[in-house]
Amino acid sequence: MNAIIENNQLPFSAKFLQFYKDRTLLAILLSLFAVMFIYGIFFTENYLTITNFKAIIRDAALYGIMAIGLTFVTLSGNFFLLSLKETASICGVTFAMGMATGFGSPDLAGNFLVSLLAALAVGVVSGVIQGYFVGMGGNPIVVTLGGAGILYGIGAWWSDNLVINFTRPHDAEWLGTGSFLGLPSITWSFILIAIAAEIVLRHTNFGRKVYLVGANKAAGKATGHENFSMAIIVFTICSVCCAFVAVAFVAQMDSAQSNYFSAEFGSSGDMTILVIATVMVGGNSIMGGYGSTLRTSLGAIFIAMVDNMMVLQGFNSGPRIVGVGLMIVFSIIVFGLFAKGSRAQE
Amino acid sequence: MSTNPILKISKVSRTFGAIQALKEANFEINEGEIMGLVGENGAGKSTLVKIISGFDPGFKGSYQINGKEVKFETPSQAEESGIAIAQQELSLIPNMSVAENIFLTGAKVKKFATLNTLAKMARPYLDEVGLTEVDPTTRINLLSVGEQHLVEVARLISREAKILILDEPTAALGEAESRRILEMVERLAANGKSIIYVSHRLDEIFKITKRITILRDGVSQGIQETKDIDVNKLVEIMLGRELANMFPSKADHISDDPKLEVKELWPDGVLEPVSFSAFKGEILGLSGQLGSGAGEVLASIAGALQSRSGSLTLNGETFLPKSPSHAIKKKIAYCSSDRKKDGLFLGRPIFENLTSPALGAISKYGFNFGSSEDNYSKNLAKEFLIDVKRMHDESGLLSGGNQQKVALGKWLSIKPDVLLVNEPTRGVDVGAKSEIYQRMRELAARGITIIFASTDIQEITYLPDRVITFYRGMMIDEHRLEKIKTPLILKEITDPFNETNL
Repeated sequence: MNAIIENNQLPFSAKFLQFYKDRTLLAILLSLFAVMFIYGIFFTENYLTITNFKAIIRDAALYGIMAIGLTFVTLSGNFFLLSLKETASICGVTFAMGMATGFGSPDLAGNFLVSLLAALAVGVVSGVIQGYFVGMGGNPIVVTLGGAGILYGIGAWWSDNLVINFTRPHDAEWLGTGSFLGLPSITWSFILIAIAAEIVLRHTNFGRKVYLVGANKAAGKATGHENFSMAIIVFTICSVCCAFVAVAFVAQMDSAQSNYFSAEFGSSGDMTILVIATVMVGGNSIMGGYGSTLRTSLGAIFIAMVDNMMVLQGFNSGPRIVGVGLMIVFSIIVFGLFAKGSRAQE
Repeated sequence: MSTNPILKISKVSRTFGAIQALKEANFEINEGEIMGLVGENGAGKSTLVKIISGFDPGFKGSYQINGKEVKFETPSQAEESGIAIAQQELSLIPNMSVAENIFLTGAKVKKFATLNTLAKMARPYLDEVGLTEVDPTTRINLLSVGEQHLVEVARLISREAKILILDEPTAALGEAESRRILEMVERLAANGKSIIYVSHRLDEIFKITKRITILRDGVSQGIQETKDIDVNKLVEIMLGRELANMFPSKADHISDDPKLEVKELWPDGVLEPVSFSAFKGEILGLSGQLGSGAGEVLASIAGALQSRSGSLTLNGETFLPKSPSHAIKKKIAYCSSDRKKDGLFLGRPIFENLTSPALGAISKYGFNFGSSEDNYSKNLAKEFLIDVKRMHDESGLLSGGNQQKVALGKWLSIKPDVLLVNEPTRGVDVGAKSEIYQRMRELAARGITIIFASTDIQEITYLPDRVITFYRGMMIDEHRLEKIKTPLILKEITDPFNETNL
């Protein structure tokens, strides 16, 4: 923003142009928002209702939280955690197991806190292990693809591929379907996590290190910020976000199955693709070092808006998944055309 | 020998922005001749080589081959005219066989050819470069680096190159391998090829060349007959007038209490353990050519390169840094030679670069709300003459000189006791050079011990208070203040054992 503050004496139109030039990606995203919005008002029935906007943000919240976690991974230059939906899957199974059986001890059955902590612990362990291998120099794509297979397999094995049910009333309803001040709990979680993540990235040493290591790993090492610990921390953050979303989703469904996040999740099918699309549409650099969780949050809301509009227009899931795919491709092209950042080689 | 040169370049100029890399330079080579091309770093050698081999069409002046004016837009056009270049970095594919590498472009090869056919076709070229005992079906990565250089040349010959440019072929090689390269060069010349031999190793230049072209600051200093001059004369022409006023004056005296003691340090690339000490407030120069070990010693003091043995003593503590972050904790700062690779975060703003090593110092409980960082980075910027108004610009947008100032300046944020600098002024224009030297001297006067490694002989002569010379992985000698003389140092880093006269 500082570049803009220095231009105080310029007339508004010139300032607007300068803003557009400085932040092309953000400006493009905002313009698309405006176009979507106006189109929605005039051409889509039931668009301009509070219920509809609540639905949009609620949709955005689930994959938005995971995408905020993934943003840390991407910003730090470790590409993606490809085991997003598998991590969520095993954490969801863990939570449901806790709620339904109490992991074998009937006293604990239905205990929300124990189940939640167990699910988060599974997230932490899988994040630390995958981060460790990436930090040791493993290729993040390969490591997390391997991780995906292992995590999914364990979850399916443990649950015998069955749906684990637990009946209402249960202690997790407030998170699954409850609301506070008119907004669903998951939406509040999204807002709070988005604010916290943005503060961490902007105003803590850790956040700065994420950007520095992402911009240049070798220089990071030379200045004492190694990717080893960075990889472990960012993969853990991401996995914990997955675990949290899984818990919220399972609490909403009152059941879990290892396939939930591949087929039944949200409206657009595969969760990993959706979350990666969110990070990309927000305009974060795939190579790391450039972007923010604020962008990711906007990306999540944008995708939810598009998806919402397609639902209202009567598209079924096939074309909507095509829409998400197109958004990934489009955002990569736009980024390639306009991005500054780590691409300024000379 | 024909009197008409096969290749003739006259009054060629080339500018890059504000920098004039070549000023009306002349160059020529006859058939079957070995022409040496020498000059210090930045004298315009590589620019001239690029122009000759067609990599750089954007020059002014005349370029003739066999008396005909030519204009190459791409390297492949130059290759068609029989000009080929062997770069310092090899362009071989390590997992393919020797024969496949030689015929990589596929020219002259039938659509379907077995490895055996290729091997038969490769044989004469390998013989010509002296690889008679190498099986053409061997994979490249099983050969030594020297043999790989020979294969690279064999590939050039297979494309019927008449004029070969060898850009520092022996820079990364030991003595025995270098000798093979020299033998090959002489054999090729005897077969009628013209060879442009670029090298920093003056002993080799004197051994094999008939004539030498010397470049200084982009101007060719005339062609010298090798037999008419000696090393001292050549160095004098290379360096020209003294540029002493670019450099700050040296320290009055060197303090006698060692600040940093290096004991038996033995990093890769160095033949035997190295021990020396650096005093408080001095600038110590490590002089040596690429591969001499000077840079490796510096990197291992900083923990960036593993050392097999040894220890450092600093402020009464004895330790061996295992990683850069370990060294930084001990107040050792290291500015590497390649700022784009591991010196700067090019995509991030300047102020973030400046405070990157000292995040702990600008924050409270891990939180950083900008104001103390602002002051911190602005002070650093002022000290290093970086434009304070540009603090929020990406560092990648700065010029080379300003980038180097940021790369150096950021280390002041940890208040170092020892500042290590590898190649302090590589790719930096003259103005910024002088500023950087000034700043280094001021820091030394403040009590920081500065150790730098450089291949720039002027820098080594005029900047440091003490010089340690390195040659092919060995520490040769140490000189103090007024004993630092260019010819002596140049001799020690190019030919300390009088191999030229053997």
